[in-house]
Amino acid sequence: MKKFTMLPLAALVVSSFAMADDIKVFKFSEDGTPTTFDPVQSGTTYANTVTTAVYDTLYEYKYLKSPFELKPNLAVDMPQVSEDGLTYTIKLKQGVKFIDDPAFEGGKGREVTADDFVYSIKRHFDVKNRSQGSWLWAGKIVGLDAWKDAGSDYAKEIEGLKALDRYTVQIKLVKPFPQLTYTLAMGYSGVVPVEAVEKYGRELSIHPVGSGPFKLVSHNSTKTVLEKNPDYRQETFDLAGAGYNEEMHGFTGIASLDGKQLPIVDRVELNWIKQASARWNSFSKGSEIVNTTLQNEQMDEVLASKHPVKLKPEYAEQFNFRVNPEAGLVYNFFNFDDEYFGYSDDPKTNAQNKALRCAIVKSFDWPQRISRFYLGIGEAYPGFIVPGTDGFDPNMDDSSITQDLAGAKKLLKEYGWNKQNLPVIYYPGTASTRNKQFFEQFRGNLTKIGYPKNKIKQKTFATFGDFNRDVKNSKTQLIPMGWGLDYPDAENTLQLFYGPNRSPGSNSANYNNPEFNKLYEQASVMQPSPERTALYQKMNQMVVDDCVGIGGYSRTRIRMWHKNAIMWPQRDVMGNYLKYVDIKS
Amino acid sequence: MEILKHCFRKLIYSIPLLFGVTLISFVLMVYFGPDKTYDLLGRNPTIEEINEIRHQLGYDRPFFVRYFEYVKEVLVFDFGYSDSTGEQVTSILAKTIPVSIALQLPGFILGNVLGVLLALFAAMHRSSWLDKMIMSSSVVGMSISYLIVIIATQLIFCSSYGLNLFPVYGWEVNSLPDYLYYITVPTISSVFVALGYNTRFYRAVIVEETTRDHVRTAKAFGHSANTIIFKHVLRNALVPIVTRIVFSIPFVIVGGALLLESYFGIPGVGLTAYDAITTGDLPVLKAIIVLTTLLFIVVVSLVDVLYRAVDPRISLK
Repeated sequence: MKKFTMLPLAALVVSSFAMADDIKVFKFSEDGTPTTFDPVQSGTTYANTVTTAVYDTLYEYKYLKSPFELKPNLAVDMPQVSEDGLTYTIKLKQGVKFIDDPAFEGGKGREVTADDFVYSIKRHFDVKNRSQGSWLWAGKIVGLDAWKDAGSDYAKEIEGLKALDRYTVQIKLVKPFPQLTYTLAMGYSGVVPVEAVEKYGRELSIHPVGSGPFKLVSHNSTKTVLEKNPDYRQETFDLAGAGYNEEMHGFTGIASLDGKQLPIVDRVELNWIKQASARWNSFSKGSEIVNTTLQNEQMDEVLASKHPVKLKPEYAEQFNFRVNPEAGLVYNFFNFDDEYFGYSDDPKTNAQNKALRCAIVKSFDWPQRISRFYLGIGEAYPGFIVPGTDGFDPNMDDSSITQDLAGAKKLLKEYGWNKQNLPVIYYPGTASTRNKQFFEQFRGNLTKIGYPKNKIKQKTFATFGDFNRDVKNSKTQLIPMGWGLDYPDAENTLQLFYGPNRSPGSNSANYNNPEFNKLYEQASVMQPSPERTALYQKMNQMVVDDCVGIGGYSRTRIRMWHKNAIMWPQRDVMGNYLKYVDIKS
Repeated sequence: MEILKHCFRKLIYSIPLLFGVTLISFVLMVYFGPDKTYDLLGRNPTIEEINEIRHQLGYDRPFFVRYFEYVKEVLVFDFGYSDSTGEQVTSILAKTIPVSIALQLPGFILGNVLGVLLALFAAMHRSSWLDKMIMSSSVVGMSISYLIVIIATQLIFCSSYGLNLFPVYGWEVNSLPDYLYYITVPTISSVFVALGYNTRFYRAVIVEETTRDHVRTAKAFGHSANTIIFKHVLRNALVPIVTRIVFSIPFVIVGGALLLESYFGIPGVGLTAYDAITTGDLPVLKAIIVLTTLLFIVVVSLVDVLYRAVDPRISLK
């Protein structure tokens, strides 16, 4: 009899274990920490990862497609664009709902409408929201800037940003902006309900209320937990449509996801682990995080070879990996406001300054930089157009990234530079061991062309914010920085040299070449075409010829993940990828 | 009653201290702290946008206006919202301080209790090989960097290269077993580091006490070694021991173990304070400074009362 009385209890215990097994938890990790999930401030890849998981954007990138390609997300279809390229009409899916939240009447999430999208973009132009994304649309949408200047009254309509009906958005542009659709796939354009903004105010940053595949359960400085949005629209994984290629993706097991309801896992735990040793220990122990990016510290331990990248057999047995070039680049620009690096009205000084810039470019040793700091993989390329974007020319002359000490010395001598008149150069950066090493390498190379060692100094800043302040105020001679692509179009990096974008804008080099500016204005309104590609290449050659900076190089990352995890860890540009990950129980 | 009066008096005396600390720290934050503006900007900001953010952060207001606002915030204990996360500062502190206390407390208690016991043992066997061994181990403990200790203990106890018994990262504490699971290795690390300092300090205090006349007299009366150590030596050595323990409380609560928290993924106030310092999140930073000062004030009041408890000859006047 006792046996039978115990039976229900045993069944309960067993079923609870079974239920626990049914819950798929994906323990993801990244090497930085997001601070806010408000779309207007989702300026980092970490914030963007979560923002695009909890909020809906009109468009998104095809998960596996290379080069990047957009597809509709909240939108029904790709936008209808008028002949002149100035009016975009976008239909939204019907029946999509925000998650249930106390912000709504009765706590039930209401339907997402075109008004919500309009409201969400308007929020970027309300100064109190400290938008980091408003620059994407500033000066481009009819009436938006005037609306901001008039005090951002949400009740007032904007001519260029309208909800034509409950499910139709119309955007009118001041001039063609072919990159507009890309911006509508960024976390910045996440659709936010007004009720949540009114209820949570500034704390909306940690209380996201969206209609995305996940909802936020908890967040702190070390971990963010997302759970599947139970009311997420019926959406299944279309393997072919996502750009699946058996040869490239076959090893990942992604093919088994075809036709599955999205999101696939029930819960994602995002662990924000900045310390390389802790991240590696957590990853390699097997029961914690399932993915990591290989760091220099573990490289010798894990890799059997770098060219091609191969893991040692014991690691290859346990982990999958992918060699992944970043969608962005690192560079060192010269500041053209500086009297020794910039333009001068005096042709002789102008030529001397250019010679100095070019000599420094020639002194730089890219293979050495890559070997010491970037796992020894990947290759530098001439110019500043990121590989994989329109305009990148793999056959471009590579003399701008080849160390040429004799050429540099000759150039200095020819233009009258000597140990006495060479200026003191301050290499800026935040106070860290890595920056100190960057500086030492930079100085080491310069001394090889005869630059006096005592004339190359380091200028350190306590934080990146402080360094950025001096960059934005044009107070540094050099700008060693990185730039992650906002969208996969060379226009996004070529804008770094557009004169009107000068400091505090993105043109930190303060480069101002009227010919370049003219070409940029011409190309930036063109739809993709061979003519536009030719213009991009011409502009790229111009900045190389002018020795605007040392570059470029796109860091190559080795992403690793456990074999029981199904993923294709691509974080740059894309966003909204957590709905495609899976974990085998 | 006397104790209450004493505490009240101490609190009154502490007001200038609070003003002094807030003023000095505010001067340092304003003139030498990081500029948050450039963390909050987008990629292509205009000068107007920069000025607007500076205005919102209050950077464009006169120093004394900003300082008086700070004092007002201290009085009502409302520091507004974090400039980084947008979360209310008091809510951040309410979430992170308990975590730091829970993390640090076992190591703090064990580090001190074991320190006193080892010090007693060493003092009782002064100049013997046991004493030398304990002291040299203490020096080794003191000499190894905390960071190395954390990485080593993590490798030994948490990783697949070692015993793999405890978590490397995370803080999912819902029950006592969870708690023990998550704090064991951080506690081992902090005890290892604290023990060296504590043992050396406590041994010196105890040895000093053993040379006193009353101890010699007690020995002459034929008291047992245990009676001498616990009744005559330890009791009289309690004042410096209590001072050391009590004065480290604010550090335990607010200072947090930044390294422990960041390497073990524990969302405590140490990590929050570090992030606030490096990013220039003034609302959070101001609240943490005030909290630390208040804790010191409480500790200073408390330590006098404790002195009286361990040695009734000490007057509170």
